Amino acid sequence: MSAVETAIAPAGPAAATAVVKPPAFSTRFFRSELWLIFGRRRNWIGLAVLAVVPIVLTVAVKVSPPGGDGGGGEAGSFVSQITNNGLFVALVALLFEMPLFLPIAIAAISGDAIAGEANLGTLRYVLSVPVDRTRLLLVKLAAQAVFALAATLLVAGVGALLGLAVFGSGPVVTLAGTTIGFGAGLWRLLLVCAYLTVCLIGFGAIGLFASSLTEQPIGATIAVMLLCFASEIMDAIDQLSAIHRYLPTHYWLSFVELMRDPVDFGRLVPGLLSALAYLAIFGSAAWARLSSRDVTS
Amino acid sequence: MSVMARRPLVRWVVPGAVLAAVVGAGVVASTQAGASPDLPPRTAAQLLVDVYTARLDGASGTVVERADLGLPALPDAIAGAGSSTDLNSLITGSHTLRVWYSGPDKARVALLGATGESDLIRNGQDLWIWSSSGNTAQHTKLGGAAQNKTLPVDPSQLPVSPQQAADMILSALNPTTSVSLGPTTTVAGRGAYQLVVAPKDTRSLVERVTIAVDAQKRVPTQVQVFAKGSGTPAFKIGFDQVNFTRPDASRFQFTPPPGTKVNEADQDQNKAPGQGPNTLPALPSGKDQKQLPAQPSGQDKTMVVGTGWTSVLVARLPEAAAAPGGKPSTGAPASALGDLGPLLNNLPTVSGSWGSGRLLQARLFSVLITDDGRILIGPVSGQQLATVAGDPAAALK
Repeated sequence: MSAVETAIAPAGPAAATAVVKPPAFSTRFFRSELWLIFGRRRNWIGLAVLAVVPIVLTVAVKVSPPGGDGGGGEAGSFVSQITNNGLFVALVALLFEMPLFLPIAIAAISGDAIAGEANLGTLRYVLSVPVDRTRLLLVKLAAQAVFALAATLLVAGVGALLGLAVFGSGPVVTLAGTTIGFGAGLWRLLLVCAYLTVCLIGFGAIGLFASSLTEQPIGATIAVMLLCFASEIMDAIDQLSAIHRYLPTHYWLSFVELMRDPVDFGRLVPGLLSALAYLAIFGSAAWARLSSRDVTS
Repeated sequence: MSVMARRPLVRWVVPGAVLAAVVGAGVVASTQAGASPDLPPRTAAQLLVDVYTARLDGASGTVVERADLGLPALPDAIAGAGSSTDLNSLITGSHTLRVWYSGPDKARVALLGATGESDLIRNGQDLWIWSSSGNTAQHTKLGGAAQNKTLPVDPSQLPVSPQQAADMILSALNPTTSVSLGPTTTVAGRGAYQLVVAPKDTRSLVERVTIAVDAQKRVPTQVQVFAKGSGTPAFKIGFDQVNFTRPDASRFQFTPPPGTKVNEADQDQNKAPGQGPNTLPALPSGKDQKQLPAQPSGQDKTMVVGTGWTSVLVARLPEAAAAPGGKPSTGAPASALGDLGPLLNNLPTVSGSWGSGRLLQARLFSVLITDDGRILIGPVSGQQLATVAGDPAAALK
C-alpha cells in the first residue's frame, strides 16, 4: 500500500498544474482552516470556559478582597495588586490558566488537526484536492498559532476589561515595587500574551506530531495532556532539577519576568528558545510522519 | 521503485538532524560556561592584592546562588513559609538574584521567586526591604556609624605598595591557610583567574574554597566552597551575567507604591541574619567564609574555641528553648528553636564527659545542641565538636 500511495503522490501536483493553474500564493486553505477551528461550536464552548476564569476571579476578589499579607500563595504578588488596578486580573487569570486550561485548549485543537480529519475521513479528500502535505502541515500549524494567540488574548482581554470596569485603573506596580504608567502596563500585558503564545505554539507542535500518529483525535489530545501534566509534575520535583530545563512546560511561567523592573529580556530567551526547539523538532517529525504515512481514510 | 519505498524513512533524517542540532547547541553553550581561557600569567599573591585594591565603581548583573549543605528539610515555619522569595530562604536550594551596585551606600538586591520577588534597596541612609508577595515594605534609617562599616576595607589602612599588601595578606593567612592558583575559568562569559584557598588544618570540614577573580576588573565574580571529599561545591555563588557599568542612580530610589504596608524599623532592631547592613552588597566576596564565628563575640554568653578553620562557636541558648532532649519547648520566645523541637528529636544523640546532646551533621559544618543548653557550631566533624564540648573553655561558666 505504501508503495502505491507514494508512487501516486508525486504525480498529484503535476496533474493539477496541467488542469488548473493554482495561484502562487493563496490564503484560501488557511482561511478555511481558521473557519474549521473558530466555526466549531465545541471550540466556542472551549473558549467560553477560558473566559470564565477571569470572570470568576473578578467576582471572588470583589466579594472578598485579599488580606494585607497576600495570602494567595504563589500568585499572591499579583492577587494583592488586583484591587489597585484591574489590569492585574488579566495577569492572575493567565497565571492560573497557563498550567491547565490553555494547554488543554491547545491540546484539543492540535490533537484534532490531522487525526480529526483522518477520523472523519476528510484527510484523503484534502490531500486529493490536491494539497501538498507540507503545505497542509504548515497551514495547520499557522491556524494553531492563531488559535493560541486568540485564546491568550481572550483571557487577557476579558480579564483586563472586566478588571478595569470593576476595580478601575491605577498605577501599575511592578514586582520590584516600582510604579509604571498605565500604557506601559498595557504594553507589558501584550508582551506577556505574545510570550505565552510562543510557548503554546511550541507545545502545539507536539500535539500536531501526536495527531499525525493516529486516527483518533481524542487519543492524541489525551497523550499531549498527559505529557503536559507529567512535565509539570517533574518540574516540581527538586531531585529532577538536572532535566528541568528540557521540559516543555518549564519556562511557561517565566512571563512573570515581564512584570519586574527593569525587565531583563535575557531571562525570556531560554523560554523562547525552548519553544522554538520544540516547534522545530516536533514540526519536522510531524512532517516526516505525515509525508510518509499511508492515508487510507 | 525501491528508492520510492525507502524514501519515507529518509524523511526522518530531518527531525533527527534538528534534534541533533538543538542538543548540540545546548551542549556547546554549557561547555563554554566553564571553559579555561588563556590569560596572562598572574601569581596568587598578585591576585590577592588585586582583589583587595580593586575599586568597584558600579556593577549590575544576575547572581545565582546554590546551597547544598546537606541540611535536613526544615519545617515551613523556619524556611520562610515555603515562599521562594523570603530573604531568609537562601540557605537551601538554588536562587537567582539580580544585583545593582553603585558604591557602598547604593545597592539593590532583588531575590527572584517564581512569581514574586523581594528587594533590598540601600540608598544612602535609607534601607528598604520590599516584598511583592505581601505587598509590604520595611524602612530602616541607618545611622552614620553603619555607613562606615559597609566598607570592606578601610582605605586609610591599606598598605602603600602592592607588594607590601601581598606580604601582609599572605602572612595573615599563612598559619592556617594555604593559597594557590587554580586553573583559569569563565564566569558570566568573562575570563577569570581562580584562587584556591584551603585550610591547612585537615580536621576542618571545608576542603577548599575557590574564588574566581575577573581577569579585567579584578573583582571576585564567583565563590565556591567544597566540603571534604566532594567534587561538587556545597555552596556556590557567582555571577551568571554581569555588567560593570555604573547603574543609573534612579535604580536605587524606592518609593513604596500605594496600598503598601510600610513598617518603620529602628536600626537596633534590624539584626536579623541576612538583613543587616553588613551583608548588603551581596556580591560574591572572598571574605564570606569567616563571618560565622565573628559576629556575636561581643556578648557574654558566647565563646569561640580554637582558631582559623576549626574554630567553634559556643553559645548559650535562651532558657525556654533549651530542652532538646525532652518535649518540644512550648513557651519558647519567638525563636526559631522553639519550632525546631520535633526536628531536634530526630537527630542522633552524642554524649561524653560533658553530658549529652543532639548532633546535626551538615556537609560544611556541624551543630551540637547539648542538654545543658549550649549550642556549638563549627566547620568541623561532629566528633570534634563533641570534644570541644568537653573543653573547660566551652563550658560558658
